[in-house]
Amino acid sequence: MTATAARTTTYAWIVLSAITIVSWWLAPGHTRGAAAAASVPITVVVVLLALIKGRIIIRYFMEVRTAPPWLKLFTDVWLTIFWAGVLAIYLY
Amino acid sequence: MTNTEETVADVESTHTPGDGHMWVMVLGDLIIFGGYFIIFMVYRAMNPQEFLTSQQHLNINIGVLNTLVLLVSSWFIARSVQAARAGDPASALRLTYLGGLCGVAFILIKAYEWSTEIVAGYTISSNDFFMFYYMLTGVHLFHVSLGVLILGITVRELRNPRRRRVFMVEAGATYWHMVDLLWIVIFALLYVMR
Repeated sequence: MTATAARTTTYAWIVLSAITIVSWWLAPGHTRGAAAAASVPITVVVVLLALIKGRIIIRYFMEVRTAPPWLKLFTDVWLTIFWAGVLAIYLY
Repeated sequence: MTNTEETVADVESTHTPGDGHMWVMVLGDLIIFGGYFIIFMVYRAMNPQEFLTSQQHLNINIGVLNTLVLLVSSWFIARSVQAARAGDPASALRLTYLGGLCGVAFILIKAYEWSTEIVAGYTISSNDFFMFYYMLTGVHLFHVSLGVLILGITVRELRNPRRRRVFMVEAGATYWHMVDLLWIVIFALLYVMR
């Protein structure tokens, strides 16, 4: 039981770290000297990746995966409304 | 029939980690921070080029490093809860210390990052982006410090053989993971998006 839980936590951590490293490569901070260009596709990907990361932290680290339905619903609604809001303001 | 059985099993296996008060605080914090981030986005939308140009002056390597440091700390803390639950307070204690140590490392790295930005001439009054940068990372840093303090309470709980209440360890962990969650949002909005 504990071994399975430990493995699941580690898998969650690997995915989170991998996404973070991908984000490093997407960031505008590398083009020193030249001005970075705005990019809708990159921003949409960044928002989706952050949404996935947030949900993994909530579900696996905060253990909402095994929490009562109201907590699952609240956190999912928060994640959805928040990131949809960010994207809507960005695209508008 | 199978459906009914599954539903019963689900109800039996659900468990709210920590206690209700901690979740009220954490969910409230998520809503308040959500508001800050939305305000940031509105200001960004009014002047996207200035924000993007300013973003380029942040050090992405330090941003990624600090994200990884917090993720490692979250791994330690999640494992600590599992150890406490399995009746292994010695491991839980060690893992909590390691998680807290990563928290302190985050604070030191952030202080270094701020100092390099300030030396380079980017201060809170430089423009709207840097105002948000110092305000958001500053409020977050306060939460990291509070998180380290709360992990101290977890340590006290685990060291006392007459306490060691699992729900206290869980409550501390819930708060700590929220600190990680908020940083993930700051990292995406301030460092990575274009």
